[in-house]
Amino acid sequence: MAQAVTAGPAGDERLARRSPLRRLLGRPELGALLGAVALFVFFSVVADAFLQASSFSTVLYASSTFGIMAVGVSLLMIGGEFDLSAGVMVTSSALIAALTSYQLTLNVWAGVAISLVLTLALGFLNGLLYVKTGLPSFIVTLATFFMLAGANLGVTKAVTGNVASDSVRDMDGFAAARKVFASQVDIGGVSVTVTVFWWLLFVAVATWLLLRTRAGNWVFAAGGAADAARAVGVPVARTKIALFMGVAFCAWFLGMHLLFAFASVQSGEGVGNEFYYIICAVIGGCLLTGGYGSAAGAAIGAFIFGMTNKGIVYAEWNPDWFKFFLGAMLLLATVVNLLVRRRVAR
Amino acid sequence: MSGLIRLAGVGKDYGNVIALRDVSLEVGEGEVVCVLGDNGAGKSTLIKIIAGLHRHDAGTYEVQGEPVAFSSPRDALDRGIATVYQDLAVVPLMPVWRNFFLGSEKRKGPGRLDIGSMRRATRDELLAMGIDLRDVDQPIGTLSGGERQCVAIARAVYFGAKVLVLDEPTAALGVKQAGVVLRYIVQARARGLGVVFITHNPHHAYPVGDRFLILKRGRAVAYHAKDDITRDELTALMAGGTELEELAHELGTVASDAGGEMAAEARRLGLPDGE
Amino acid sequence: MRGLFKGAPIAAAVLAGALALGGCSSSGGKKAEEKATGDGGPRLKVAMVTHSGPGDTFWDIVQKGAKAAAAKDNVDLLYSADPDGGKQAQLVQTAIDQKVDGIIVTLAKPDALKDVLGKAAAAKIPVVSINSGAEVSAKLGALVHFGQDESVAGEAAGKELARIGSRNALCVVHEQGNVGLESRCAGARKTFGGKLQNLYVPGTDMPQVKSAVTAKLQADKSIDGLLTLGAPFAATAVDAAKDAGSTAKVATFDMNKDLIASIKSGAIWFAVDQQPYLQGYEAVDELWLFKRNGNVLGGGRPVLTGPAIVTKDNAASLAEFANRGTR
Repeated sequence: MAQAVTAGPAGDERLARRSPLRRLLGRPELGALLGAVALFVFFSVVADAFLQASSFSTVLYASSTFGIMAVGVSLLMIGGEFDLSAGVMVTSSALIAALTSYQLTLNVWAGVAISLVLTLALGFLNGLLYVKTGLPSFIVTLATFFMLAGANLGVTKAVTGNVASDSVRDMDGFAAARKVFASQVDIGGVSVTVTVFWWLLFVAVATWLLLRTRAGNWVFAAGGAADAARAVGVPVARTKIALFMGVAFCAWFLGMHLLFAFASVQSGEGVGNEFYYIICAVIGGCLLTGGYGSAAGAAIGAFIFGMTNKGIVYAEWNPDWFKFFLGAMLLLATVVNLLVRRRVAR
Repeated sequence: MSGLIRLAGVGKDYGNVIALRDVSLEVGEGEVVCVLGDNGAGKSTLIKIIAGLHRHDAGTYEVQGEPVAFSSPRDALDRGIATVYQDLAVVPLMPVWRNFFLGSEKRKGPGRLDIGSMRRATRDELLAMGIDLRDVDQPIGTLSGGERQCVAIARAVYFGAKVLVLDEPTAALGVKQAGVVLRYIVQARARGLGVVFITHNPHHAYPVGDRFLILKRGRAVAYHAKDDITRDELTALMAGGTELEELAHELGTVASDAGGEMAAEARRLGLPDGE
Repeated sequence: MRGLFKGAPIAAAVLAGALALGGCSSSGGKKAEEKATGDGGPRLKVAMVTHSGPGDTFWDIVQKGAKAAAAKDNVDLLYSADPDGGKQAQLVQTAIDQKVDGIIVTLAKPDALKDVLGKAAAAKIPVVSINSGAEVSAKLGALVHFGQDESVAGEAAGKELARIGSRNALCVVHEQGNVGLESRCAGARKTFGGKLQNLYVPGTDMPQVKSAVTAKLQADKSIDGLLTLGAPFAATAVDAAKDAGSTAKVATFDMNKDLIASIKSGAIWFAVDQQPYLQGYEAVDELWLFKRNGNVLGGGRPVLTGPAIVTKDNAASLAEFANRGTR
């Protein structure tokens, strides 16, 4: 938010009273940013290998796989809804592409396209079910979560006879698709997974969408006070359906990464990840009740998550305590976030 | 005649429940018509008819001399009739300017918001109506209740409303806040808008109203110009005349003290810079 | 809980019985055909209740083995699974209620199953245990246990890992707190000779598995060996090593068809196969033998189905079986 304010002189004087610092402190992602910096410094001190460029690239990769989903999930949360099917939808999307292209012996790009259409349809279905039934999205998507988890396994087993999809490694278009979704890019001698760049791009697009477009305005309004938004003519139902489809789009993208990075997909994967995505968004300053948050914040949340996840490995702490450390770090980051926001609110 | 909207003998049934019967009302440019009544008197039914949420069953509803039967609030809005509901006014966490333009955003290109111009317009519009915001970027939830109502009203005015229908805008507000809103109603009148001001508080209605319609159990029990009625008469009518006398008798001096306080309070709300 | 729902088992039994009857009549044609091709004994009903989560390659192969034996022995196989110990016990209870002729069970959480196996004994239903729980199998009244001693398998892996020249290796555990996986690593550590550390990764999220292994390899450049404990993780470990610029040699437990190809190409050095197909197959066959002829295998000791080491030398001959999803 850096618009030049060109109002009458009277307006300008008063604006100066709210200092730029305070304005910065009011941003939803600031607490998360401080938490991220604190964690970064912490791991830099305790883990020798953490500061290597290649290690940083690994951390970014881990962050990006959370972060890409956190983009869609955070927008949806700002719009006031949850999607518990987000984790398994990634697997569904990858399986759709893998099964269709393998079973029908298509170019993998055809599978990619079919998967995009069907995954978006899944998102649309989530949105439609929510809008039509008026049930909480928590319940609706919990149902689709179970259904997708079951269908992932059931369909895969029925089609391939195994619980994993067949490898698409030697099929037409695999190399090109891998370049797009799962290649390594050399940046000054350090190889960085391409998902990192996609992640940053998605965050930028989502931020632009939220702050600079009419659709973004509608997202905040739909999540902040749906009735008030409806009363002034905001198409709340359409906005929410679009947000569910946004999550589906992210799931599709990550699904494609999964498929082209590992060539075959385990049908039981992805369960439980939906909570990580929500946690990323919350650490990044999204309100659980909707109407407030930012895509950049969710990205920082994902970075905190990736950093904690891998920092513990770099620090070579006793692995028995891994989850304990993970929880403690998350608590730390969220508390810093909370303190900052409370301080600003005062 | 400069009648913006005119209702004649309007009635509405919900099944076999008669919600409104034979109500007439006229709002001209630069006029404030107050609709008073207790809970269940038919105020909200009347609002819904004027706002286009419900269609009337009997009587006529004319806008600028033309009979209408709206099928949605959008229709009413297109004819310049904007309704501001007390609880559906704004999205608290969004900045003032975003709220101001919500649903009717100004755009530079496909989807791209013209943020600078919307900010300016918000500040100017609010300033013109006497609300001095130092920062239109603050969440609207940080404004006082009265200011919030005013932003919602200013928004309706800005988007070309000729008639403002205000649903109990002062109901949830403190004395001072209610004063802000009342002042604002006077400002809107000065701009030549017609205002339908729904309230159950005669002390809010009397200082700003030009005409008063009192509803009771779905019927109009009185319709007076300001010259024909005093504040006390209005209060008495509102509370139900004889019923209030009985109540006053019962409560003795306590009631009259309270009445005195109310009157003093209303005087404080007098609007010296009004017109 | 148990006291509150005393009527529940009866109701469940009635319901299950009704369902079973319904099931029989509706698919009579196919069953008649199976009867004709079977070897003529009375049709048995055997329940197999495992602690598998959904979508696990390993259990898929176990099931295939069990199905093959069931088809041959004219057995009606009922498969169910739940990773939660309490729920697995409930599934065993439903099998008892259905009055099956035999129960095959995994003993990953023996304490949770102790009571319900007592009930099976009381109902005179023979029980065979498979996979995990060799040490408690006899105590809980199972006829015989088919499985791999995870420790023994680990020892074989450790020896093999040392043979291919690794001195400092990682044991990649994809499910923290799983006793079987821990004892594989412990067994390997015993015979390995070098340094073998455990690395815990979230098995349900492949990118996280990959980045965790990469991170570890970046943190400790001297690591020259990677031992994964499930086939899908081996391929990921190969990728991770490549990313980290490490030359660590990758080996794994368990098998699948992609793995065979990787072993043939040399990307993965060896696999320790516990032959899950055998566990399913032998368990069903044992119950059939017991019912038909009173035979008991193993002489009171667990019957080991592994470890079988698959290397470049014998991979080619197994490729066909792995493609079928039975190795």
